[in-house]
Amino acid sequence: MHIPDGYLAPAVAMALAVPTVPAWGLATQRVKKVLNNRTVPLLAIFSALSFTIMMFNIPVPGGTTAHGVGGTLIAVVLGPWAAVIAVSTALILQALFFGDGGVLAIFANCLNMAIILPFVGYATYRLIAAGAPTLSTRRAIAAGIGAYVGISVSALAVGIELGIEPLLFSSGGHALYSPYGLREAIPAMLAAHMLGASIVEGLITGLGVAYLQRRHPEYLTSLRGIFAPEEAAAGRPSQRPLWQIVLATVVVAVAVLGAIGLVEGGGDPNRMFNADWSAVDWPSVGSMLLVTAIAGVVLVPVTYLLLPRSIKRIGSAFVALAVVAPLGLIAPGFAYGEGGAHDVKAAFGYVPTGLQDLSGIFAAPMSEYNLPLPFFSDANAPLWHAGIGYEIAGVLGILAVGGVTYLIARLLRGSGGPTSVAEEAGS
Amino acid sequence: MTALVAGRKPIEGRIGWLERTVGGITANIEHAVFTERHARSAGWLQARDPRAKLVGFLVAIVATSLVGSLVALALLYGAVLAAARASRVPFGFFVKRVWLGIPFFAGIVVVPAIFFVPGDRVFDLAVGPAHLAPSWNGLVGGVLLVSRVGVSVSLAVLLVVTTPWADLLKSLRALRTPQVFVLVLSMTYRYIFLFLHTTNGILLARKSRSVGRSSGGEQRRWITGTMGNLMSRAFKMSNDVYAAMLARGFTGEVRVYSTYRMRATDWLSLGGVAAVSVAVVLATRVLP
Repeated sequence: MHIPDGYLAPAVAMALAVPTVPAWGLATQRVKKVLNNRTVPLLAIFSALSFTIMMFNIPVPGGTTAHGVGGTLIAVVLGPWAAVIAVSTALILQALFFGDGGVLAIFANCLNMAIILPFVGYATYRLIAAGAPTLSTRRAIAAGIGAYVGISVSALAVGIELGIEPLLFSSGGHALYSPYGLREAIPAMLAAHMLGASIVEGLITGLGVAYLQRRHPEYLTSLRGIFAPEEAAAGRPSQRPLWQIVLATVVVAVAVLGAIGLVEGGGDPNRMFNADWSAVDWPSVGSMLLVTAIAGVVLVPVTYLLLPRSIKRIGSAFVALAVVAPLGLIAPGFAYGEGGAHDVKAAFGYVPTGLQDLSGIFAAPMSEYNLPLPFFSDANAPLWHAGIGYEIAGVLGILAVGGVTYLIARLLRGSGGPTSVAEEAGS
Repeated sequence: MTALVAGRKPIEGRIGWLERTVGGITANIEHAVFTERHARSAGWLQARDPRAKLVGFLVAIVATSLVGSLVALALLYGAVLAAARASRVPFGFFVKRVWLGIPFFAGIVVVPAIFFVPGDRVFDLAVGPAHLAPSWNGLVGGVLLVSRVGVSVSLAVLLVVTTPWADLLKSLRALRTPQVFVLVLSMTYRYIFLFLHTTNGILLARKSRSVGRSSGGEQRRWITGTMGNLMSRAFKMSNDVYAAMLARGFTGEVRVYSTYRMRATDWLSLGGVAAVSVAVVLATRVLP
């Protein structure tokens, strides 16, 4: 997530100092007030800790590794203002000394990872923890979710910062800085983090808080705990039940989606997301939902039983995804993210030429993600036929991708060579 | 490190993350030692006042970001190489360090843009149903981005390699950085190495005691336990350090002595860098 120099126009990089520098000033003041002269050693040592945490490679399911930022963990323990300074210091050292992240981009990187991340993470943590006892599991889970949300929002910020570059700075048709627009940069950053780095960050934060609860509960009472451990709030029984929070999240998500849909559709509820919802045949949707539900009830447990232990959970999760996939058939028009070139044209009014050239690749062999048999893909076939076709195509696709990945991994490992050699060179 | 991993066929489910972390930490420490060595050698940049150097490099990096022409970037890179040469930075190291890494990070990100950006096509290669057709605009934009990132990184590397860390930090004062911030930075730098050494020890101890395979969940629990443990050590250590500072008369006021003196050559060099930067940025309007 470290933005190097050259991706951001100097004007943007400097403009990001406007929110960042006052935040640093405020953070220094806040921390000084609480800590007096202890500011310097405490912050220095926690910055060093943040730097060290960024060095850790965490084993992720699937055999790869990722590294975390630790911003939310520090925010939970020391408070968000101290986290701002600790992570900023670590980032400045990385940029100046280890060449990780650009020098001009320091303001951008600090805004994303040292200001947005700990504050969003801490706010989410506070919201979910909702006054639960200090040593409750709920606190650990809240910290994990807070870290996940924090780093995801921070990734969104990176996406926006990179995405506005081609809008602002282009000359003679080619982009001067980062070439991707908001429509590419935001989904790319969000997907890469929400499916990977954010999970890691959430895991290490949640488990880290759980460890501190078990071994060093005195640290979990924020900054005050350093001076007066006896004041450490023992916490009170939960005042906000979990179901209320879940319900609130769902309501907010539906409301936000609805609002976006209305805005895109020009305020007409029948044209949400700019699609013609009156064209949907609701009875056949019902039968398709029924088929999907039955498929889910049958397929997921069967997969769970059949798969070998090591990939039981992840495999079942993928099958569950495949089962849910046909729900996208309900939405008319451009509802499915992977729409072909003609869908893109209908939605955006023009086709990126390169996309048109590349779209041929996806034409074969399972066009539109359905099976090429009349039962499934006939234009007049009932929707639930297509639904089943989707499910089978999805499962086949997962099997194919999984098989290819497995084969490649096997080949790389079996020859005894490339991976181990690369690792030896790397270490 | 190599001795630890070499010579054996990797065991299934081996703990590669341990080796990778240890490797990363070792590389960082080595890098620091290496950097300090070059910062002490007698060269052109090493002899400059660190404040002049910091400001000069910042001006050059801003200029690099403003340049929109490949020729101008090439000229700038030539100047950077000449400065590196005059400062006795090993040529192979300097060029390789930057250009082996950049294509991975910047290059891979840019590749799709070459095909998606609309404009005239360089060629149109039909591969089955697909067309491989990079556009001129995409290509120019991509090359420009990669080379700009490369030149910026070269500048940053050159600054770090030719300046002792303590000088670099003190010269931040010239940019009106608050003194407390500089002090925190320099203490952080010192404790980073302590933590890196501690972590290295913990990881090596774990590795030398590991036989067979452990589950992913166990590994994650261990690693978060290690982080929690480090955090608890950090607390204790900050208390000890504070006590030590108090014992030596620390009152919250920070005083540093600075023996830097800007000489005529420093002013000249700074002026020269600024002039070259302005010239290159202005030349962008003329050059292709």
